Amino acid sequence: MTASTRVFSAARIITMNPSIPTATHVAVRQGRILGVGTADEMAAFGEAVLDARFAGKVILPGFVEGHAHAAEGLMWRNCYVGYFDRVAPDGTLWTGLKSIAEVVGRLREALAALPRDAPLLAWGFDPIYFDGARMSVADLDPLTADRMIVVSHASGHIMNVNSLVLRRAGFSRDDNIDGLVRDDAGALTGELLGPPVMSRASRVAGGGGLLRPLDARGLRDYAAAARRVGVTTATDLVNALTPELVDLLRAVTAEPGFPLRLVPALAAREYSPEAGVARLLELRPTSTDKLRFGIVKLVVDGSIQGFTARLRWPFYHNGAPNGLWYVAPAELGAIMLAYHRAGLQMHIHTNGDEASDLATEMIGRALEAHPRPDHRHTLQHCQMADAAIFRRMAAQGMCVNLFANHLYYWGEQHAALTMGPSRARRLDACATALREGVPLAIHSDAPVTPLGPLFTAWCAVNRLTAQGRVLGPDERINVAEALHAVTLGAAYTLKLDHLVGSIDVGKFADFAVLDDDPFAVAPAALRDIPVHATMVGGEVA
Amino acid sequence: MIPLSVIGGFLGAGKTTLVNHLLRTATRRYGVLVNDFGAVNVDAALIAGQSGQAMALANGCVCCSLGDDFGAAVASLAARDPAPEHIIVEASGVSDPWRIAQLALIEPGFELMPLVVMVDATAIAAQLADPWTGETVRRQLAFAELVVLNKQDLAAEPGQAAAIVAGIRPQARTITACHGEVPETALTFAPPSRPRASRLQADLPHMFPTWRWPCPLPLDRDRLRAVLGELPPAVLRVKGLCLLGQTAEPYLLQYAAERWAFSPAPTTLAPELVIIGTPQLTNPAARFDAAVIGGWTAG
Repeated sequence: MTASTRVFSAARIITMNPSIPTATHVAVRQGRILGVGTADEMAAFGEAVLDARFAGKVILPGFVEGHAHAAEGLMWRNCYVGYFDRVAPDGTLWTGLKSIAEVVGRLREALAALPRDAPLLAWGFDPIYFDGARMSVADLDPLTADRMIVVSHASGHIMNVNSLVLRRAGFSRDDNIDGLVRDDAGALTGELLGPPVMSRASRVAGGGGLLRPLDARGLRDYAAAARRVGVTTATDLVNALTPELVDLLRAVTAEPGFPLRLVPALAAREYSPEAGVARLLELRPTSTDKLRFGIVKLVVDGSIQGFTARLRWPFYHNGAPNGLWYVAPAELGAIMLAYHRAGLQMHIHTNGDEASDLATEMIGRALEAHPRPDHRHTLQHCQMADAAIFRRMAAQGMCVNLFANHLYYWGEQHAALTMGPSRARRLDACATALREGVPLAIHSDAPVTPLGPLFTAWCAVNRLTAQGRVLGPDERINVAEALHAVTLGAAYTLKLDHLVGSIDVGKFADFAVLDDDPFAVAPAALRDIPVHATMVGGEVA
Repeated sequence: MIPLSVIGGFLGAGKTTLVNHLLRTATRRYGVLVNDFGAVNVDAALIAGQSGQAMALANGCVCCSLGDDFGAAVASLAARDPAPEHIIVEASGVSDPWRIAQLALIEPGFELMPLVVMVDATAIAAQLADPWTGETVRRQLAFAELVVLNKQDLAAEPGQAAAIVAGIRPQARTITACHGEVPETALTFAPPSRPRASRLQADLPHMFPTWRWPCPLPLDRDRLRAVLGELPPAVLRVKGLCLLGQTAEPYLLQYAAERWAFSPAPTTLAPELVIIGTPQLTNPAARFDAAVIGGWTAG
C-alpha cells in the first residue's frame, strides 16, 4: 500500500529554499515535504489529492521561535493588566489599559470573578507609559478590605500590592528596608522593588503566584498560543528537565495532534556542569519529532531595563550602578568548557555589552582548548553588542538571537535612561549582525513580550518604538531577511535547519498559511497580516 | 529568634570550605543553605539521611539547597523539627550578601548575625583590578562586618589583603584563616562564653562592644525613625524590644547597616535595646532619649 500524497496549492509559496524561492504547489506525504514547485511538477509524484483550501493564500515555512518560554501558557490564569493589546492562547483579545483607572477597573472585574478567598494576581502592568503616574495602595485598597492583591510589572522587577499584603508581610512605614517605595510623606505606596521584598509578598499572598510550575494544561496552552501565530517549532528556553518535567513534556507532546515541536533548554544553573552534561547526553537520544533535547541555557547577566545587565563603559546612561553577574566570569568559562567539550550546544543569555563580550571571550577560550566545528553556540538577546563583538562572534562560528521586540516595547526607555541616544541606535543591531556575517534569529521572549513572529519581523524591519520613533534606522533589515530570521535563521540556531525552517524535500511539512503576501504589503503592515492556518506534519493544527 | 548568618564573598574565597568546616565541627544544630549542593563534602559517616536537595547529618545539622527564593528556603528550614539553632546562608559568589542579609530583618523570627564576607587573600588584589570582577568584589565588602581573610598562609604579601579590606570597609573586623577554618564563635556578636585553650580562640578578641539602653517608656515612631536614620556607620546592630506610640505596642526592632525593620512582639520581656558597634564607637545609647514620648528631645 502506498502512502497517500496530498498536494496543496497556494497563491504563492515562499520557501526559504534557494533552489526554488517561490512556488505554487507543495506535495506532502507521511507528514513530510515530498516536492515543491508547479502543479505540473507535482503530477510526477503519481496519484495525489489536490487540496485547494489555501488556493488564495500564501504559504511560508512554519515559524520557528528560538527564544520563548512555556510559561506563556501559564500566565493567562492570572489577570492581564498590560498597556498593550494582547491575545490569550484561546484567542481572547485583552485590550491594553491606558490609565491606572482602567487597570483598577479590570482588577475589580477580576476580583468579582474569583472565589471568595482567592488572592488576585495580575501581570503585565507597565506604568512607564502613564506620564509618571504610579499605582499605590490608594488605588487598590478601595477594591477590597479582606482580599490580597498582587500586581506584577511587565519588567518583572517590580510589583504593587494592597495594604492587606503589606500588613501580612510585616511591612510598615516604620521599617527601612531596601525595596519599599514611599510617597513624599514617607508612607509606603505598596510598590515593591527587588527579589527579597517581592518574594516575601508573593509568599504571604499564597503559593508561587506567577511562578507556578509548568503543567499539562500550561503546555497545551503554550502550543495553542504558538499555533495561533503560525509557530510550529518553539523553545522552552529554560527548563529544569527534572524527571517529572521530562515525563510531562513527553506525555503532552505525544498527544495526537499536539501542534508544536518543542525544544526545551536545560537550565544550567540547576546542575553542576558534570551533572548537566550527563543529563543532556542522556536525554538527547530520546528526542522525538515533537520533542528535541540537546541545548543548554546559561544566564550571564540580568536585564537592561531592570539595570541588572552588565554594561561596558560608559555604563548606564542615567548613572545607575552597573548590573550583576549571574555567574562569576571565571566560573562561566569553566561551565562553558564542560558543555562545549561534551559536544552540546549552548544558548547564552547576555543583555549588556559587557556580558556579550565576556561570553564571546569565554567561547574563544573554549575553542582554543577544544577546537570544534559547527558548534553554533548562540548569544540570546545580545542586545547591546557592537560591530566588533559581532565580528568576533562570526569569526568564532557563533550565532545570535536578537530581541527585536524590545525595540518597540522599551526602545524609548533605552534611549532616555539605560543606553542613551547613541548606543540605543544599535539596540538589537540586526543589520550589523548580518553585515558581519553572524547567523541571525530574532525573538519575542514570550511571555515577556507577545509571541508572534510576524510582529517580531515587523520590529526588525521598521524599528519603530511604541511612541513612533524609528530607533537606529541603519539597523533596519529588509522583509526577506526578517522572514529568514524567524524561519530558517532560527532553525539554524537550534541545529534544526535540516528538519524545519524552509520548504524543501524531506523536511517536516510545517507551514504558516497567511492571508496576505508579506512581500506585497507595505513593510509597516507586516504585523497586521492574519495567520490563516498553521500546519504541523502536514496536518492543519 | 533564630540567629541567621549570611556568608558572602567572591567565587573561590572559601565559602563552601567554611560551610564544610562548620558542619564537621558543629556544637550547635546548624541549618545551612548552600548554592552548590554538590560541593558540600562531609564524611559519609556523618550523613544521617539525604533526600533530593536536603541532607541531614548525625550531629543534628541539616544542609539544603538555596534555590530561587531565599525567604521561602529560610522559612522552610526554620519550620523543621527540631528547628535549627543557627541558620547559615551561603550567598552565591557573585551576589551582594547585604541584600540577602536584609531578609533576616523582614522575615519574622530571625536575628541577623554579623555579615561575614570571605576574601581570598591571595587573589583579592587581582580581583579588584580586574574590570570584570572589581566592582562586584567591592560591593560585596561594602557592608561586611566580619571579613575572613582566607588562604592567608598562601599569600605572598601577608599584610596586603588586610590593608585592602581596611580601605574599603574600615568598620569591619578582620580575622585570618586557613582552609576556611573559622571557629563557630566568630559568627556571633557575643564573646566566647569562657576562654578556651585553642589557638584559634586566642586569636579572637571580644570584637564588638555592646551597650544597653533600657526603654520603659513608649517611643514616638517618627522621632525613633529619625534617631535610627542618623546613627553613625560604626553602629553595627540595634536590636531589642521597644514600645511604640501612645498605645505602647510592643515591637521587636532590628537595625543593621542603615536598614531596619519592626515586627510585632506580644511578649512580656522587659523593653531594652542592645546596641553593638565597632571599637571606634562612643556610647550611642543616649541618642535614643530623643525618641521618648514626652521626654527630653535634642535641640
